[in-house]
Amino acid sequence: MAWIRLDPITRRRLERFRSIKRGWYSLVVLGAAMVLSVFASFLAESRALVVWYGGRVYFPTFTYYEAGRFGQEPPPGWGTGDLEADYLRLQREWDLERVLYERERTAIVGDDRVALAALEEKYANRQNRVFMPPIPWDPYRSDFWYNEILRDVQAELDRDANLRAELLARRDGLDELADAIASGDIETMLADPERSLTGDLLGLARSGAMPSLAGLGALPPTAPDLRRHHYLGTDSQGRDVASRLLYGFRISIFFSLFLVLVSQVVGTAVGSLQGYIGGRFDLLSQRLIEVLLSIPFLYVVIIMGALFAPTFWLLLAIMAAFQWITITFYMRTEMYREKTREYCLAARSYGASHARVVFRHLLPNSLTPLVTFTPFAVVAAIFTLTALDYLGYGLPAPTPSWGEMLDQALLAENRDRLWLTLAPFGALTFTLVLVVFIGESVREAFDPKRYSRYE
Amino acid sequence: MRIVLWVSALLAAAPLGAQDVAVVLPPGIAWSTNYDDPPIGSPEAIRGGTFNDWIGAYPLTFRLVGPNSNDGFAGWNRLFTMAFSLVKRHPVTDNYIPWMATAWSVQDDQRTVYVRLDPDARWSDGEPITADDWVFTYEMFQSPHIVDPFYAILAQETWESIDKIDDYTLRIVGKDPSWRPLWDFLGIWPTPSHVVTLDSTWVERTNNEPQVAPGPYIVTGRERGESVTFSRVDGWWGEGKHYFRGLYNPDTIQLRIVPEERSLDYLRLGQIDVLQENTARTWNEDYTFEAVRNGWIKRARVFVDFPQGVYGLAMNLEAPIFQDKDFRKAIQYLFNFERLNRNLMFDEYLRISSFFEGTEYANPDIEPYSFDPQRAREHLARAGYRRPSENRSRGLLASAGRMLNGLITTRAADDDILVNERGEKASFSIVYGSKGLERHLTVMQQDYRRAGVEVRLRLLEPGAAFERGLERKYEMHLMGRGTSFFPDPRQYLHTEFRDTTNNNNVWGFGTPQVDSLIEVFEDDLDLEDRQAAMWRIDEIVHDEAFHIPFWGAPFVRLAYWDYIGWPDNWLPKRVLAYNDWPVFWIDPDRKAALEEAMRTGTPLPVDQEIDKDPYDLVDDRQ
Repeated sequence: MAWIRLDPITRRRLERFRSIKRGWYSLVVLGAAMVLSVFASFLAESRALVVWYGGRVYFPTFTYYEAGRFGQEPPPGWGTGDLEADYLRLQREWDLERVLYERERTAIVGDDRVALAALEEKYANRQNRVFMPPIPWDPYRSDFWYNEILRDVQAELDRDANLRAELLARRDGLDELADAIASGDIETMLADPERSLTGDLLGLARSGAMPSLAGLGALPPTAPDLRRHHYLGTDSQGRDVASRLLYGFRISIFFSLFLVLVSQVVGTAVGSLQGYIGGRFDLLSQRLIEVLLSIPFLYVVIIMGALFAPTFWLLLAIMAAFQWITITFYMRTEMYREKTREYCLAARSYGASHARVVFRHLLPNSLTPLVTFTPFAVVAAIFTLTALDYLGYGLPAPTPSWGEMLDQALLAENRDRLWLTLAPFGALTFTLVLVVFIGESVREAFDPKRYSRYE
Repeated sequence: MRIVLWVSALLAAAPLGAQDVAVVLPPGIAWSTNYDDPPIGSPEAIRGGTFNDWIGAYPLTFRLVGPNSNDGFAGWNRLFTMAFSLVKRHPVTDNYIPWMATAWSVQDDQRTVYVRLDPDARWSDGEPITADDWVFTYEMFQSPHIVDPFYAILAQETWESIDKIDDYTLRIVGKDPSWRPLWDFLGIWPTPSHVVTLDSTWVERTNNEPQVAPGPYIVTGRERGESVTFSRVDGWWGEGKHYFRGLYNPDTIQLRIVPEERSLDYLRLGQIDVLQENTARTWNEDYTFEAVRNGWIKRARVFVDFPQGVYGLAMNLEAPIFQDKDFRKAIQYLFNFERLNRNLMFDEYLRISSFFEGTEYANPDIEPYSFDPQRAREHLARAGYRRPSENRSRGLLASAGRMLNGLITTRAADDDILVNERGEKASFSIVYGSKGLERHLTVMQQDYRRAGVEVRLRLLEPGAAFERGLERKYEMHLMGRGTSFFPDPRQYLHTEFRDTTNNNNVWGFGTPQVDSLIEVFEDDLDLEDRQAAMWRIDEIVHDEAFHIPFWGAPFVRLAYWDYIGWPDNWLPKRVLAYNDWPVFWIDPDRKAALEEAMRTGTPLPVDQEIDKDPYDLVDDRQ
């Protein structure tokens, strides 16, 4: 870090920043969230972290494995295909084998080796393991389980395949239903119009006669529910809200950091040049900036979006083309002011080059606006991206984005689905509050009234 | 383009007044009419009462032509007061029936029609409705004072002339011969020439002025931003006429201004009597309140038959990826309508199978491609697309690198997308102009992705998306085009439009065979030949697989307070909305019974069978 020489003032500023607890903790929390979000593929992903199968270890996060590799059957209609394994289902299937194995082993009397061997053969998968990420959903995958599971079980019942129906229910944790099917009670339950008005499982779920079926038969968006690990519910396409929130955070925060980095560097350079050189250059470039400023930003985004498919980098470029302007004004005035001060003239008279004067003397004294504005620029950038996505001119669907989540939440049909509203609003508010706290503390730490640097 | 047309229409209109040759009826003319079909309304209908309904916004004008004359109010205005045409098509039997005419005579040239007017017809101010009023409408359409290019173009493209023979006889000459002259040329309505003076101030002057009308109602009450009221004309001339029986039953119709999203609340409060529900989610989830549980508000889903238009995903035959028919078929087989319908749409909708759905030209033998990934994979293999297996067995380090590369934006997992021998990915984009169906598209995207086909979504501003379609600058395009009772295959499928752009042939389709079939449809006067030609076109379109038809809602969902009466067949067969034909009435006895029940809190019988299928349509479709 030779290029940053921490002079005593800077050090004191940093210490002061650290001593403002609110800002410091905000920085820690936000920083941790950012680092975590880089590893989102290990936190929220429908591919397993680790699969232990037949004595070998697999890492599906990195590699595509066909379902057949783990002996998994493809979904109905897809044939023997080479589809990727469905790891969440795999986990449930193997867990089920473990449960059935345990249950049937207790039924074996004594030390019947033949029966035991047959049982072990039958449930060979019980020794395999799938380790899923904490949120076992990627931000793209629709989960229609709530709507479809009862239909699937019902279809098996209708075919008189009661055993399959029972296993299906048990695999997905509907033990009460599975027990009722196993004992045959289900027939009487469905025949009773008090318990099932329509005579099927859906009616049973609706009437509330079997409480563990509550919430089944529902179309997305579905409320937060632990059975399927949807900690914040699902959105109107059945995608996991928590997962989309996390990936949306990753996109917003990195987008805004890149944007702020580019625009502040460019803006500072241009503004400083304007202020330091002054004269005709300043006059001309200021007019150019005014021209640029009069271009309506939103239209440019819409037009560019119609010409090219909007991508992360394209949006970044378009926004950076406009965002650098604001800071030029402040840097320009700072430079104008500072260059007339005695210390600058002294440096010049000692024969310091222009570059040395700008970088060693003027810039360090002009940093206050840059430092003060940057956190708010981050806030503005997050907001702009969210607004663009909300309007539909941001990153294309199905990219996880807070703006798109807000858009769903504010639809009239979703107005009573609080989880859709609270998740993106909460996340947005929380992030922006953290950034604002950091910004405030930085501003306080850099307050020139406390430490001036006139030399 | 539009402005040029309008100006030329004005120029063409200029010499019309200078006609001095008297038009006479040719000798020995044969008149035809039709009073044999049943009335549209019910004989049990009860007259009287006030009917409450809603519109989304206070009308900007009470005129039928001119600026702002096509808003939500215009439908009511046309229906009840103004737009009474010469003939109509019976909404159940599909035959032509006299409306303001009593008889007509189509000449052999298939464009000249003589019409006898009903001499009883009176304006709401008591003046007789004569041939002059019809000629005046035609002149009005062409007048620059109405500031309405739509009608200028319509007049120019539809009619050559409309002339008075005597007070109750008209001669109408169409621009081009047609095999359906009554439909094409007789949809015009009368305008009270004795009160309307067209000049440059007419538009502004009449903006807010209820019109003298031929219909059973006139606008009698207006409260800006609150409501519009229609009241029955005293001694209306049409009272008791055959086809008007059972229609126009309430004495007063009050339209409240209600924001659409609050219409259900207004129904609940009893401020509106009938609500047509157009949202599947609301229909399935929100009608659980007390009045519905108690049977005070009833619900019905009435199946009707209406042309569905062309609605679905269009593949651009000029795009390299869609030139392979096998690839197109694979894309058809991967469209999982059932999954969308079940999980996003409450199983409410029916798949459109024919290009001419809802008309007699739809080939009944055509089944839409159903979801079948195995067959899709066979077609994909035949089109040369395979999994890029060499990409998949790569080292851990390389994979980690790729993942990091795409870490910030999205997951870098395009390693399972199919490629062909030339190394091109099975990947295309869908252009669409509204977020309305975005959730359907993203779910659909997942099914394609599972099969190894990448679908990229491009939401554009609506105008830009529409233009992309017309200019054929897209790969796949979400399109919807309305239609009339008579399909128009030429504009969609003819080679004439394949070779140019900016037309409705968005696919760029056209073959000589289909061209000649279209000519059969347009020129042949025999219904069966025309039908056979169209069925063949339907087959070809299906086999060429360039259009993924979406779904339709061939029903009207009604929620209504128990005192609203409906005919035995609920609604006529050819309707989109319950108020296309005002067959409903208010039953005073049931109203009293309901008020009593609500006062004491007693439930009324609830009809568990919500689906009504008076025309046996559902089995036909499935």
